[in-house]
Amino acid sequence: MDDAMLPDPVARGTVTRRELLEAGWKIGGGLLAVAAAWTSWEALRPLADVSGGGVLALKPASSYTEGTATFVREGRLYVTRAGGALHALAQKCPHLGCAVPFCAASGRFECPCHGSHYDLAGEWLAGPAPRGMDRHPLQVIDGRVHVNTTVLELGPPLGTDRVRLPTREGGCAPPAP
Amino acid sequence: MPMSRRRPWRVRLRESAVWRSIVRTPPLDSPRGRALRSFGNVFLHLYPVRVPRAVLAFRSTFRLGFIATVLFAILAITGTYLMFFYTPAVTMAYGDMQQLRTRIGFGQLIRNVHRWGAHLMVLVVVLHLVRVFVHGAYKPPRQFNWVIGVGLLLVTLAWSFTGYLLPWDQLAYWAVTVGSDLVHYAPVVGGPLRDFLLGGSTIGQAALLRFYVIHVAVLTIAFLLLMAVHLWRVRKDGLAAGDPPHAHDVTARAADDARIAAIAGAALDIAEPPPTVVTGDGATVARPVPRVLGVVPPDPLSRAARPPDDEVFSWPHLIVRHQVVALATCALVLALGIAFEAPLRDLANPNLTPEPAKAPWYFVGLQELLAHFDPLVAGVLAPAVLVGALVMLPYVDRNPSRRPRDRRLALAIFALLFGALVVLTVIGAFFRGPGWAFVLPWDALYFEP
Repeated sequence: MDDAMLPDPVARGTVTRRELLEAGWKIGGGLLAVAAAWTSWEALRPLADVSGGGVLALKPASSYTEGTATFVREGRLYVTRAGGALHALAQKCPHLGCAVPFCAASGRFECPCHGSHYDLAGEWLAGPAPRGMDRHPLQVIDGRVHVNTTVLELGPPLGTDRVRLPTREGGCAPPAP
Repeated sequence: MPMSRRRPWRVRLRESAVWRSIVRTPPLDSPRGRALRSFGNVFLHLYPVRVPRAVLAFRSTFRLGFIATVLFAILAITGTYLMFFYTPAVTMAYGDMQQLRTRIGFGQLIRNVHRWGAHLMVLVVVLHLVRVFVHGAYKPPRQFNWVIGVGLLLVTLAWSFTGYLLPWDQLAYWAVTVGSDLVHYAPVVGGPLRDFLLGGSTIGQAALLRFYVIHVAVLTIAFLLLMAVHLWRVRKDGLAAGDPPHAHDVTARAADDARIAAIAGAALDIAEPPPTVVTGDGATVARPVPRVLGVVPPDPLSRAARPPDDEVFSWPHLIVRHQVVALATCALVLALGIAFEAPLRDLANPNLTPEPAKAPWYFVGLQELLAHFDPLVAGVLAPAVLVGALVMLPYVDRNPSRRPRDRRLALAIFALLFGALVVLTVIGAFFRGPGWAFVLPWDALYFEP
């Protein structure tokens, strides 16, 4: 066939060797970057949390009396009974991660860092926290309290007031402005 | 060779083949020697042979960038020393800190110098940014060097923050808990990003090791790379203070040229300056060559005719000033290290939060903001907008003038934002007590650096 009959390479949509090589090293470099990012992520992503994994079998449900908060060191959580129901509240403040102590004088959780207050059910009362205290699923099996620390449920949104509790005078950390 | 025996040993040393193989350029006491030393010596090559005389004035830069570089060197040296005595393990770190104090020679002093030097470096880098902004030194051709400078600021903050955790005491643990929990307010990526940095959902062994590696290796490499480019560009562009007057002001520059042309008594071709200049008393002299102040009479021309590109040799004028500033910086951190002990509280206890738990001081303004606004706004949007605005600044601000009276709006916005940051930081650092309640610092001070 006559050469003049062939359309030129550009019109045929083909690429020259130079264009192929130029695109090739960019694609190769891109693939290398993806591979580097992937291996870095696989190597550095957090391992499954070993600190709070498992179901804790605690004391009989009857030993947690109304209006008390019992700290469970193994799970860094409180078991409370408020309004008749049991709650397993994570000690970590949902605001900025401080450890929230229970204030016996006021019967509330009062965060020393930024003045977030929560009631015994972990519902938000005051302060800058974005929600109530986070909690773990709690079940009573054969009369004993079991807390599953592998699951962390976010606390109830601000303004939740399902559990009405009597207020006490006194306090430990003043509420935030 | 009786002559050579009588000559002092220093002269003979300098003339020896070995010495001349090490220092291959003539000595610095002649212009030729200064020029060749700048070309041929890797360290002096950081300086140009000559600099505009305006750069010698302390107020031209307040030497802040140079001080930051000196502090970096001090931190690198003291940090390397500390690495010999530190194990990044939760079971070891705190004990190592106590050993530094009790058993290692000058251990506590080195730690003090490292800590105060680090705080000072954050402060100096921020002041450097303020100085560059106020002088308009981010304007063309220096736009991208400003962006690199913002990168260096972020690396400095990350450096200080990662170092904060390493002593593994109550102060370290809770400041980093609060500081890193700010990240998780970022939508979608915040939580995973925080866990990625910490290597888990809480601060533990993984977080300590990660912070350590980031502190001593990752950020050091990043800082050195950025600093190399930053200094290279300063070297190539020169310091803004040395730019010809009104370099970015077209009308003023034209007036300048007209003034010089009138003095020269001839029309002046701006692109091709004449080889001679007419002095006030009518004599024609050659354009001034770079000179050594004090050796050559300081005013060979009338003041009016002095061309704007008056230059002096870097050695000795600029380099000696830098040496003085470097020594003063070393003396300051050493004095701070002797006078004030770096704090070491009780061993980190994840179950007991001290009151109040504050982030490190440079993040405490953010924490204060968080007490007033929605976390998404205060914890994520505000810092992201701030960093974004800093990066975009040289491209958004197209005003070519660097004179303050032409930049009223830019200076007002900057003063407002920077003032707000300072006020928030001061309130958060000094006026907040347990429960983030307002306290007066003269009643009770809850600030630990």
